[in-house]
Amino acid sequence: MDFSFSDDQVLLRDTARAILSKECPPSLVRAHIDDPAAVAPLWSQLKDFTALGDGPCTDLCLFIDETGYVAAPGVFFPTTAMFAPLLAALDHELLPSVLSGEVTGTVAVAGADGHWTLNDEPVKTFVPEADRVDWIAVVDTGPTVRVLPAADVATRQTRMVDFSRLFFEVDTTGTPGSGVGLDPAVFNDLTARATAALAAEMVGTSRRLLEMAIAYAKERIQFDVPIGSFQAIQHRLAECSLAVERATAAAQYASMTLDASDAELSSSQERFRAVHVAKAAAGNAATRAAKDSIQVHGGIGYTWEHDLHLYLRRAVGSEHWLGTTSWHHDRLADLLFKAR
Amino acid sequence: MHLTWGPEEVAFREELGAFLDEHVPPEFERGFDYAGEGGEVGDDGQLDADNIIPDWARRWQATLFDHGWMIPAYPPELGGRNATLVQTLVYLEELARRRVLRSFHYPGYGIVSPSLLEFGNEEQKKLVPAAVRGDTIWCIGMSEPNAGSDLAGLQTRATRDGDRFIVNGQKVWTSYAMVAQKCFVYVRTDADVPKHKGISLLIVDMDTPGIEVRPLRHLSRSAGFAEVFFTDVEVPAENIVGEVNDGWRITQGSLAHERAGLWVEGVCRLDASVLSLIDVAQRRGLDQDAGVRRDIATMYEQASSLRALGYKGFASFAQGSSAPEHSYMKMATSEMGKAACEYGMQLQGAYGPVMDPERGEENGRWVNYFFMSFANTIAGGSSEIQRNIIAQRVLGLPRS
Repeated sequence: MDFSFSDDQVLLRDTARAILSKECPPSLVRAHIDDPAAVAPLWSQLKDFTALGDGPCTDLCLFIDETGYVAAPGVFFPTTAMFAPLLAALDHELLPSVLSGEVTGTVAVAGADGHWTLNDEPVKTFVPEADRVDWIAVVDTGPTVRVLPAADVATRQTRMVDFSRLFFEVDTTGTPGSGVGLDPAVFNDLTARATAALAAEMVGTSRRLLEMAIAYAKERIQFDVPIGSFQAIQHRLAECSLAVERATAAAQYASMTLDASDAELSSSQERFRAVHVAKAAAGNAATRAAKDSIQVHGGIGYTWEHDLHLYLRRAVGSEHWLGTTSWHHDRLADLLFKAR
Repeated sequence: MHLTWGPEEVAFREELGAFLDEHVPPEFERGFDYAGEGGEVGDDGQLDADNIIPDWARRWQATLFDHGWMIPAYPPELGGRNATLVQTLVYLEELARRRVLRSFHYPGYGIVSPSLLEFGNEEQKKLVPAAVRGDTIWCIGMSEPNAGSDLAGLQTRATRDGDRFIVNGQKVWTSYAMVAQKCFVYVRTDADVPKHKGISLLIVDMDTPGIEVRPLRHLSRSAGFAEVFFTDVEVPAENIVGEVNDGWRITQGSLAHERAGLWVEGVCRLDASVLSLIDVAQRRGLDQDAGVRRDIATMYEQASSLRALGYKGFASFAQGSSAPEHSYMKMATSEMGKAACEYGMQLQGAYGPVMDPERGEENGRWVNYFFMSFANTIAGGSSEIQRNIIAQRVLGLPRS
């Protein structure tokens, strides 16, 4: 088992890091709160990387991790981690224009209960960026898929605590077209892929929160010394960094299992176990890093003016999307107890 | 990034598997999760020395050595086969998977040998093969009553007197001292310099006059370690390892050797514990309990993400980079291991503390593990020290 990155992967990561630190500063995330169109210059850079949506999951996750570090708003995640893989599974004619960055899309699955499980409800919930994409793929029981022009469906924004990822209800009542069938196993794989990508993104957000806490602990002076020299702070951050490191490794392992053939895995359940582990570990790391970082920052971290809450919001929002930590623990238990 | 081993590692694992199939002593089938520090002290205070390192375990270690499987990375004359780093990982994982221990006494092959190979003179290096083969049993004189986590504060004194050192002082928590022939003793050779700069390392024969060993019982009632008293013990001057007052550098090296591969065993043990918890839950009729299921899944998440972290650290270690990931492994596997053992007791309700083979299905297994697990969060650098190390050396926070 080898977790080392190839030279190409290191280059991809460094490129992502350079672009995102320049194009997605906290000021852009703030500007996006009042005007989602503020994301345009960022998208003009990210659209060159949408081909990652139909490549190895490890490469996609490497890139998406960096978008989580800056809490990048916009359509990159739904287009590359959800829409493109679904089109690829359907061998859909739109795929080339998605991979070339000309066309964007999102995927609608959840019904009123908010769970990412198949249903026949006409109103789909928690559809990311539904008013900014060109296409919406609606998945109903079967599973069947309809790829609809976003302009043809009614969307209503659900106000969320996280301003950096916009969610919508999508009402497909009366929309034309019949669905194309999809293998249920393929649907499960696509869900696993989106979940692994979200875990990778949350790892990036966790790392940002932890790094902010470490930097502040080194510079903030109280009792004539940096507060980072106090054991109370050191042990809190040591435990927090363990959570972040575990989540990082778990998310990378999950993306590796999604790229692996069945023959390379110890069991066909291994990739689902790995994805549940990754999302649960990432959820724990992200919320923990957010809490610890604000605690270490003290009063300044509790202000609107400070950027910490941008990443706190992203962490909380991501933890509750595509299954909370507890939800993934319960699904993991189902797999473990059944296998025993 | 790839999930599977290359053909060289697969072939290596197959050869190892064939050897193990043929040679592993049947005694391991009884399960020796925490073996290595056994040995009962009778009511008369006498230790049954045979129990600490049983004869079959000695023969097993010698067999491993003779077939080049004791430390695969070493050359054949030192009990190895010049294995690569990745092959060593395969080796450690395969042993842990089969719950087979290489040896019941780690100091000789784990600490003394690598230290002598790095810091010893030609004469001292000749001690290595017997240490690795287990023919010589070693103990390590590090901790003292007033030097635990603050190891550099050790006070055992060595005074130069012509062609010998005179050693006076006391060591404690010295594993295997009751049966060891030799001891790595860290001593203070200069009290007038900062504490890290006045420490030296001596090789001391345990039958030298003036050494008294008093076995100490673990809280689990077995006696795996001892106090060692030194009263005017004469040690030949040539028994010093490295330079006078350069002992601290060797302690750092020795501990690094100790840590390098330990995580594999820790993670495998943790994995096995978590899976056993599922069996206990089923036996106790708790396998449909939502809380129990979630708790066990949470521990599985922690164990398997730690395994991934171990591999990730190993990948950078194998490429020659430092691997901060390994600093996390000792703390996390020991803490989580303790929690898993405690949970095993919880699942048994009133039967958790029962050690009666006629009553209770687990016969004290989990409470025993729980008691022994305290050692893992203390020995070899306590969890608190590990957090200091992570904060200061990995995260770069200032020293307090």
